[in-house]
Amino acid sequence: MLSTTSCLANVNCREKMPTAMDEEERKLQRLKAAVHYTVGRLCQSIGEDHQKEFSRQVIAAIAETTFRQCDIFAKDLEAFARHAKRSTVSVEDVKLTARRSTALSNFIQRKSEEIASANQEQRDTRKKIAGKRKNKDTEMV
Amino acid sequence: MAESSAEITFKNETVSKLLSSFFKEEKTKVGADAVILMAEMLHVFVQEAAQRTIKQAEAEDCDRLDIEHFEKILPQLLLDF
Repeated sequence: MLSTTSCLANVNCREKMPTAMDEEERKLQRLKAAVHYTVGRLCQSIGEDHQKEFSRQVIAAIAETTFRQCDIFAKDLEAFARHAKRSTVSVEDVKLTARRSTALSNFIQRKSEEIASANQEQRDTRKKIAGKRKNKDTEMV
Repeated sequence: MAESSAEITFKNETVSKLLSSFFKEEKTKVGADAVILMAEMLHVFVQEAAQRTIKQAEAEDCDRLDIEHFEKILPQLLLDF
């Protein structure tokens, strides 16, 4: 079935394929480790607030659960974006994933408004700076 | 660590790469604001997991936080998200 011309290409392919999968696996491990790190710090901080300590086993379990929850979130986000005929996940998609709990919904709504107003402030600041520069240039005689 | 839990967040880059790794299509991307918002979602998720585990242990009059406490709150946690 393989033609002789594609033979060489396939040899290269076979050499590349295991490494590509290893790279994917390594990438996933790095991400898991990053999640585990932040979860650990968060749990330690929350534990201190309540004078309780999280065992390594519990932190690992929370980290693993968080990692798996990301999979669920990601698949939902992708489906919502696709449904809206977009290839880029938007804030509206994120809001939808928070729909199951009213408290969570409201929290995410507030956060999205904070982000939007922070963006607006940034834009206003940039305009001011650009305006000042313009005036400076015209003043230089 | 004297950091408040509110200051400890997931890095935007981590969140972005994490979500991307689970997408089924290569062309799917995440907008910058969406990444920030998802970082908040994950932050809340971890906080809820941690705080509910603590409440469970306190309800059972336990000083140590054990895996059983987490396991007991896990179903409702997943349903709430």
